[in-house]
This record gives sequence, C-alpha cells and structure tokens, in this order.
Amino acid sequence: MRPLIRAVVLGLVGYVAGAWLTVAVRGGSPSDDVAVVFGFILGLIGWLMGIGVWNAWAREWFGLPAKPDQATGWKRYFTFNTDHKVIGIQYLVTFIAILLLGGAMALVMRMELARPGQDFLTLDAYNKLMSMHGILMVATAVAGVLGAFGNYLVPLMIGARDMAFPRVNALSFWLIPPVAIGLLSAPLLGSFDTGWTAYPPLSVVNQGGQVLFILAVTTFGLSSILGGLNIVTTVATMRAPGMTWGRLPIFVWGAFCASILSLLVTQFFAASLILILLDRVAGTTFFGAAAGGDPLLYQHMFWFYSHPAVYIMVLPAFGVMLEIITHLARKPLFAYKAVVAGFWGIVGLSTIVWAHHMFTSGMAEQLHAPFMALTEAISIPTGLVFLGALGTLWQGKLQSKTPLWLAFGWLFNFAIGGITGIYLADVATDIHLQDTYFVVAHFHYTIVGGTIFALIAGSYFWFPKITGRMYNERLGKIFAVWLTVGFNLVFIPLFWLGVNGLNRRVADYPEFYAGPNAFASVAAYILGAGFLLYAGNLLWSARRGPAAGPNPWNARTLEWQLPSPPPEHNFPLLPEVVGHPYDYGVPGSVHAAQEAAEGGEE
Amino acid sequence: MNERGGYKQDAIRVGLLWLGLVVVLEAVWFATEILPRQYAEEAKIIDDAFNLLTILGIPVFSFVVAMLIYSAFRFRSRNDASEDGPPIKTSKPVVVTWLVVTSALALAILINPGLVGLAELRANPEADLVLEVEGQRWQWVVTYPNGAEVRDELVLPVDTRIRFDVTSVDVLHSFWVPGFRTKIDAVPGLVTSVYVTPTELGTFTDDVNLRLQCAELCGIGHARMVMPVRVVEKAEFESWMAEQLTAEAPAAEGRG
Ligand SMILES: [Cu+2]
Ligand SMILES: [Cu+2]
Repeated sequence: MRPLIRAVVLGLVGYVAGAWLTVAVRGGSPSDDVAVVFGFILGLIGWLMGIGVWNAWAREWFGLPAKPDQATGWKRYFTFNTDHKVIGIQYLVTFIAILLLGGAMALVMRMELARPGQDFLTLDAYNKLMSMHGILMVATAVAGVLGAFGNYLVPLMIGARDMAFPRVNALSFWLIPPVAIGLLSAPLLGSFDTGWTAYPPLSVVNQGGQVLFILAVTTFGLSSILGGLNIVTTVATMRAPGMTWGRLPIFVWGAFCASILSLLVTQFFAASLILILLDRVAGTTFFGAAAGGDPLLYQHMFWFYSHPAVYIMVLPAFGVMLEIITHLARKPLFAYKAVVAGFWGIVGLSTIVWAHHMFTSGMAEQLHAPFMALTEAISIPTGLVFLGALGTLWQGKLQSKTPLWLAFGWLFNFAIGGITGIYLADVATDIHLQDTYFVVAHFHYTIVGGTIFALIAGSYFWFPKITGRMYNERLGKIFAVWLTVGFNLVFIPLFWLGVNGLNRRVADYPEFYAGPNAFASVAAYILGAGFLLYAGNLLWSARRGPAAGPNPWNARTLEWQLPSPPPEHNFPLLPEVVGHPYDYGVPGSVHAAQEAAEGGEE
Repeated sequence: MNERGGYKQDAIRVGLLWLGLVVVLEAVWFATEILPRQYAEEAKIIDDAFNLLTILGIPVFSFVVAMLIYSAFRFRSRNDASEDGPPIKTSKPVVVTWLVVTSALALAILINPGLVGLAELRANPEADLVLEVEGQRWQWVVTYPNGAEVRDELVLPVDTRIRFDVTSVDVLHSFWVPGFRTKIDAVPGLVTSVYVTPTELGTFTDDVNLRLQCAELCGIGHARMVMPVRVVEKAEFESWMAEQLTAEAPAAEGRG
C-alpha cells in the first residue's frame, strides 16, 4: 500500500502547490479556473510519480537504475505493476466499481423521477447528478471491456508474454484514478451540469466544476490513446509463430479495431474540451457567437469522437460475445471472415456519420441527406455481426451456461438498440425524437444492453481463468434472467415516453407522463437489487468457489491452454499456432502445438 | 433422418416461428395507438415515417427473436460433455443472401421514408406567417408580425403555414412542440428556422403535447422552460394578436 499512500500524498501536494503558485503569480482565489488547471496538472504528475512512474521508469531518464516495485500477491494491484494480467484485473475491478457507483446514481435519479413534481432533488442537483452518471458510465463503457479484457486477454490469446509497452500499459491504468477523483470531487467546485456532452456556451459559463470535468476527461482520453497504441502495437508485432491475421481470435479483432478507432479519434474530444477550457480561462471565443465564435463547431468536433466512441465501446463487446457464443455453441464462428470485414466496415463508416446527432442543431441543411445515408449504411456491417452470432448458434451444441444466457439477452437487446437507431438516423423521425427519452432508451440499449452486458458476461466466462475458481452457475443464471428482464422493464417504457413528448435531462415532467415513469422507477430498483446477487456470487466464488482447472469450457483458444490463473509471463515456451481457433468439430484440427517451438529463452 | 434433412426441417420450423411473430407484432402495432395526436401537417409526415420504419423493423426484430427462441430450445446440448457441433464454417449463399437483403433494406429505408420524408418536409419554402422566437434562460419570447412580444402563451392560427425564426440570447435551447413533432435548436448568433402548419385546434390544458418545450439542456430551469400552445381559428388569431399590442401598450407607456 506504500506506493498508493505516496501517490495520494504527492498528488495532494502537487495540487496545492499548483493552485497556490497560480494564486501567488496572478492573485485571485485557489478555486479560480486557472488555479484548478495548474493544480490538477501538478497533482496528476505528483500522483503518477508517487505510484511508481518515478521508481519504475523516470529514474532511467536521469541515468539512475530503475527500481520496479517487487510487491507480490494482492499488493501488486496497488502498485505500478506492468504485468498485463494485473492491469486487466485492475481495470476490471475499477470499472465494475464505477459501474455500480454510476448505477446507484441512476437509482437516485429514478427516485426523483418516480413521480412528477420536484421531490427531494433540486432541479440543479438533478442536472448535476445526471451529468455525473453520464460521464462515469460513458467512461466505463469506453474503457471497461477494452481495458479489462483487452489487457488481460490479448497477449494470452495471441501467444505473447506481455503487451508491447508494459510500462505504458501501467501508465494507462494509473491515469484512471485521477480521472475518477477529478470527476467525483467536481461538486466541491459547484459540479458540472452540462451532461456528459458539455455543449457550449453552457459549459463556458457554468460553475468551476466544469473545469475538473474537462481536465479529468482529457486525462481519460490520454489513457485511451495510450491503451489503444499498446493494443494495436501488440497485435501487430507480438503474435506467436503461426498466429496469422486469419487465425486471430475474434475478441482480438474487436479489441484491435476499437483500439485503432480510439487512437484515431480521441484527440478530437480532448481538443474540443481544451478549446472550451481556453474560452473559460484565456478569454478566447472559439464558441462565443458574439465575438465570431461558433457553438456548432464544438458539436462537430465532439461527435467526431463521440460517435466512433460508441464503436470503441461496442467492438470489443462484439468480440467478447462472439467468443462466448462460439466456445459455448461448440461450433466454428460462422462466417469468420465476413464478421471481421464487418468490424472493418464499422471502423471505416463510424468516422463519417457523426452529424446524425445534429439534424436539429441548425447545421447546414445539405448535410442531412448524406449523413442519413452513411448512418443507415452502418447497419450493413453491423448486420454481419448478427449473422456471425446467429449462424454460430444454429445447429450448435449449446452449453447452458451463464455467459451464453447473457449472450442471448445481449442479442435481444442489441437488436432493439440497432433497430431503434434507424429512427434516429432517419431525419424526419429524428426531428421529433432527438433529445427525448427515446434517445435515452436507444443508447441504453446499445451501451448497457450491448457493452455492459458484455462486461458482465465476460466477467463470468473468464472468471475461472482469472481466479482459478468457478462461480455458482445457478446464481449466475438467475442473475442473467434478472438482468435481462429487469433491464428491458426499465427501458421499454422510456421509448413510449420519448415518442409521446417527454424530453430528456429533466427532473420534473407533466402529470401525463407519470405512469411509465413510476413503472420504470420500480423496475430500476429491482434491476439494481439484482447486482447484489452478481457481486455476491463473484466475490464469494473468488474465495470459496470450487477449483476450475485450466479449461472448464474445453475451449480452444490459447488462454485456456494455460493454468488458471496463468503464470507471470504466460507462456514458459511460446506456442506455435497451426490452425484456426474455432475449428470445433473439425476432425483432427489443432489450434496450437503444445510441444512449442523456439523463443523459450527467458 | 440425415443431417441435411434435419437442417431443412429446422429452417422450416424457425421460418414458421418468424412468420408467426411477424403477424402478431404487426397486428399489435396496427391495433394500438402509440403515437400522440397530430396537430400539424409536419406531424403527419413524421408519423408516416415512424410507421413505415416500424412496419419494416418488425420483421427484422422478429427474425432475431425467432432464431434465439428456436436455438435456445432446439440446439441446447442435453449432455454436459463437450460434444462438438457440426463444423459449418461458413456458407457463401447464406452470406451473400444476408448482404443482399440487409443492403436492400438499408437502401429501401434510405429512399422511403428517408429521402422522401426529407423532401416532403422541405417541399414548401413559403410561409404565410413568420414569428420570431428567442430562447433565453429560462423562457421563450415570441414576437408577432405586429410587434407584440409574448411570453406566457404561444397562440397560432390553424391551417396557416408558419415559419418560426429561432435564436437564443445566451446558451443553446431547442424549440420543440411534441404535438407538431418539429424541433430546431436555438443557437446564439444564428437564426434557425422551422415550418409548422397547424391542422387541429387545441390547447395545452387539454393536451400536454401542445407545449413549446425547451429540448436542449440549458441549466437549472431547463425542465420547466415551457410555453403553453393554443391553436385557434384564423379570425380569433387576428383579434388575439391585436389585443396583445393594446395589452402591451399601457405597460410601455407606464415605463416611459
Ligand atoms: Cu452517433
Ligand atoms: Cu433548455
């Protein structure tokens, strides 16, 4: 725990030093926007140095020998550890915790919304709680699946001993706690009330908490870019002998494609936020109409990242779910090449559809038709993912296990999410539905129904690999049903509310909307309670569950050929890949030769 | 029964299940009134688009559901041992058919309701009445052609093509009347326009969807940034508009 304490202390010292130095130079108060900026930057540096960047890395820059932390056992998780499996678990636990926190906030919101009128949250408090819920959950969806399973599984699945840049990898994770701390301490500065979208001019003129939002989210973007860089490089250069691109497990493809996107577009979000910051602290007017700026410019830049972000969230989720479906249907992944082509189609199209979020924004009208066409075209590559999933289930030998039950719920949800997306791509219907509860329902179907379901299903499927123990199957299945039914009961009524005229991001609404809101609130409490079962099952099983053995699913990919949990550096001898990972039922087929070849030098 | 025969039988059964689901869901859609009441021509265009998308979306959704239900029951492995399924890696005819069908669907909805709906909404750039709307935290200010500034109720003449020229003095807002279905953001420094042709008389007190609701998050008062809407006969509108001016005048004199 020493590094963590050091990090907290140095982080605080850095923050205070930065803020007070700013005050000393320019006067004003330490809660001014500028002081917060310098405080955050020095605090971030202090935090990183304290956690181990100095010892494990920065010392080398000054000609000193690096002193990486030698902690073992559970203490590793609180240090600057470079083992990709440790980092994967750090991501998994951190983001499940943030998921539960963001979920608890949603329950408080549903409590306020359970009946019309303003009950116990002020209008302002509601807006701020909604904004916090939004950004925490978006972060979870962006980095949860990719950070947790991308880090844990990619090296194992491609037969590598670690990521290409292990220290960069540790850095990507340790940038996350300052993001969470920054966001969660924003209430000290009046919080932020602009949703997760932070549209100016509101985000230029509101409370100082918005500055912490900007700094935290920009830091989060840095973490995403570094993580993406690492996964792209690892997959491109560190595949085991024989692991050709055509034999790559589908999750690796999902993580790879998502990482390429995150490497290409995250800067745009960061840049747009930094322009807001400059408008606030440096007197620029990028988004100030009175002085020649343009509020719509922000929306273009923001969605240039934030639409692809949906695919950064969902491509790894596609990968997780197709892995689960293939291994538990015990059949080759149907139309593997078409599915991979679908992933690439999504990567390509996702960067040229952003303005479908802006049909009612007042942007140039000649953009409407092309962006509608491009957005609707994305249904074609996405359809290939469904083809892969449904084709694999067809004629399979379905193993009735929790992850597969969740995969069924996921396909159901994602079908609804995908089809309702068409109503928002179509200009005519979007004009009515934009900024209503229809949008809220739609994106929860894709992000929760798609990505969070994958996070949860994956946490069951790889649980025996990560912990070496088996979760309780019966409780797992009860939770799978609970989650799927509960989720649908919460969000189906919201479609009706949106169509019938209820706008989003409101603490109060006319009496007319009372019924479905009350229903959704009760369903939300039931859904929320289900997570006790989830957490209980996994926490208990991690300590007391029966030993799982190396390969409880009798699966073919490389991670299942190692002990559970896998040893440090994974493969004593690098495997040699000789066949496709999913050739279930193909007589005599082998994925990797155990009597491994070259490269065993340690 | 050989394997091929088995596949064929499965295909027929899942096809029947699909068909059944389509019939039931379409019947439910046609039997229920989900969409709110239309108060404008534009609402009809947008609702037609909504209907068409739903009618086309139901078979797609039903296909996924039919496959899931059938697979869950029919392909469930009875023994827990890890026996493998048939090694079907791909099927070119299936992949090609799938691509053709999904592409055709995407193209179909792009043309109608997509481009058709867009063309209908933009068909007529004329307006019989132009109202200026200004969003400000947290109220709407509407200026009528005679110069009257109104804040408490938006009164509109029926069967009149109205253009709203919308702008904002502070942050983003959005002009939305659910009963009309149309929406446009109020952006500082920009005048955006939206056309509405009211076709039905009505008032906010009878239908909650006759309200001008701010739809873009604008701060504390966003939820309650609402202006009641009333659609009246043309003659009534004219006299109401004139009254607004006289109602305003004494106040203006008082200030002067
Ligand atoms: Cu989008
Ligand atoms: Cu508003």
